[in-house]
Amino acid sequence: MVFLEVVELAKRFAGVVANSDISFQIEKGEIVGLIGPNGAGKTTLFNCIVGFHKPDQGIVRFKGKDITGFKPFQTNREGIGRTFQIVRISGDLTVVENVMVGAFCRTSDRQTAKEMASEVLHLVELEKEAEARLTELPVAAQKRVGLAMALATRPELLMLDEVAAGLNPKETEKMVAVLKKIYEAKDLTLFITEHVMEVVMPISQRIIVLDGGQKIAEGEPKDIANNEQVIKAYLGEKYAEGRKDRGSV
Amino acid sequence: MSALKDALSFGDLPISERIGFLIFIISCLAFPWVTKGSFAQSVMIQFLIFCLYGLGWNLIGGYGGQVALGQAKNVGMSAYTVALMMVWWDVPFWVSTPLGVIVATIESFILGYFLFRLKGHYFAIATICVSLVWQQLFINWDLIGGARGVELPLRETPNFLYMQFDSPIYYHYFAFLLVLGAILFMNWFRKSRLGYQLRAISAGEDIAESLGINIHWVKVKAYCITGVFAGMGGAFYAVYYNYIDPFSVMHLELSIMIALMTMIGGAGSMWGPIIGAMILIPLDRYLGTWLGGSGVVGVDFMIYASMVMIIAAYEPRGIWGIIEKARIRGSGYGFLGSG
Repeated sequence: MVFLEVVELAKRFAGVVANSDISFQIEKGEIVGLIGPNGAGKTTLFNCIVGFHKPDQGIVRFKGKDITGFKPFQTNREGIGRTFQIVRISGDLTVVENVMVGAFCRTSDRQTAKEMASEVLHLVELEKEAEARLTELPVAAQKRVGLAMALATRPELLMLDEVAAGLNPKETEKMVAVLKKIYEAKDLTLFITEHVMEVVMPISQRIIVLDGGQKIAEGEPKDIANNEQVIKAYLGEKYAEGRKDRGSV
Repeated sequence: MSALKDALSFGDLPISERIGFLIFIISCLAFPWVTKGSFAQSVMIQFLIFCLYGLGWNLIGGYGGQVALGQAKNVGMSAYTVALMMVWWDVPFWVSTPLGVIVATIESFILGYFLFRLKGHYFAIATICVSLVWQQLFINWDLIGGARGVELPLRETPNFLYMQFDSPIYYHYFAFLLVLGAILFMNWFRKSRLGYQLRAISAGEDIAESLGINIHWVKVKAYCITGVFAGMGGAFYAVYYNYIDPFSVMHLELSIMIALMTMIGGAGSMWGPIIGAMILIPLDRYLGTWLGGSGVVGVDFMIYASMVMIIAAYEPRGIWGIIEKARIRGSGYGFLGSG
């Protein structure tokens, strides 16, 4: 049984094609990266899988079950967790309380939720900040709170939307370390969309590339880095031409 | 059992809040013995009723961040149920009140189920529209008294079965018990799963939904609880005034007053509605009396409006927000779990 399967998915917004004919599969335990230039349709694809958008065409299957058109809270209950580019959480609540909100979808008992939240905070190395307000934390820590909230819902598939956007190189490095740690500790499957290549390239086992709403390549990171179509999509036709002339492909 | 423990435990609040709560209880208990003026006593009882409304509205409007402006219709439906059952069939207060609360809750459920498909301003406007429709319906419905309202039959006092008393002391303590119950409920609520989920929804619906929260259902649940509070307040209102009409209990002004009062006090905090009622209700009643005869109409509304504007500009979280800010600045560290 395929863990996550997307078949010929398409999504249009009033005539603008955001995703068209995208198919791929993810096996349990994999780390898959999703890259592409701005506007390639990465976030739309995420939203279609999680349920924020209803795809116009195509099927999304998770663990063999058709989840196309499910609401986000339903896909979450099926076992898909998701983080956001911008962490917008209640400033009234402390960090640990925000994470408890995630845990509350698996338990109704406050004490159990608190224990689950503390465990997850330990994993993302935020146990010291547990009692702080979110607004008191730097962006890097806020991003890890967002990660902890999604993790607290005990997902099997964790979809990370631009976890490293806006972070400096040092913070990015830390984020990658944390991601590796949770991957090992939690028996997770990770699906990462990212601009920052320093995040995707070293940890992904496989990479899917989108451009103009279509899948243009799929493969191991080192192959993707040398894929002509990918280079074209990222750096433009001319750069790819020049590269060929210099004989570096 | 743990729910009861949560409701009764105020241990996680800072000591200043616990002392404040104690002062509130003591002054409410002592009030009828200290003040003999009947006007002051009636203002006090109105304050308590509004505390009840406000504590309920705070759930959906404060914690949930959904500006619902239709509490008056729930108050009215419950008040009418109680009053009409007494007039028509002589049903005692203790039997008709649960029914009135159920009517108010069912109305909240049905309305919430459909209206929560709307978001933000659209939701607020829809609740206003529905309230106006209900009010017109009650004004023109002759069977239930129409615009003349319903007068409750007088009975021999004191009558605990029908809640009729000569002395306002009985009403005072009964209203106080209701408010105390409401505060204990809110104390449980703010620590409960529903409380956390509602606050997450008001912070951001997308994130809340991706955390497995069925936001529509959670909002409907919270709206129903708000309806229960309004229903209890309405039932009490009917027996306290012995007279209700569609202008006193169904009016949009009442809904707006409840929302305003909670916002001024501090929406989304435990004590906000009480602080708001403490300021607005006496102000409203005394101003109304002083200015009522002088021909100056509308000054009270100008005063509320300026208060709202000042608060919206200075501290959107209301008076409670100002208090909390001062406290955090004073201690140099944020408090956990207040509000």
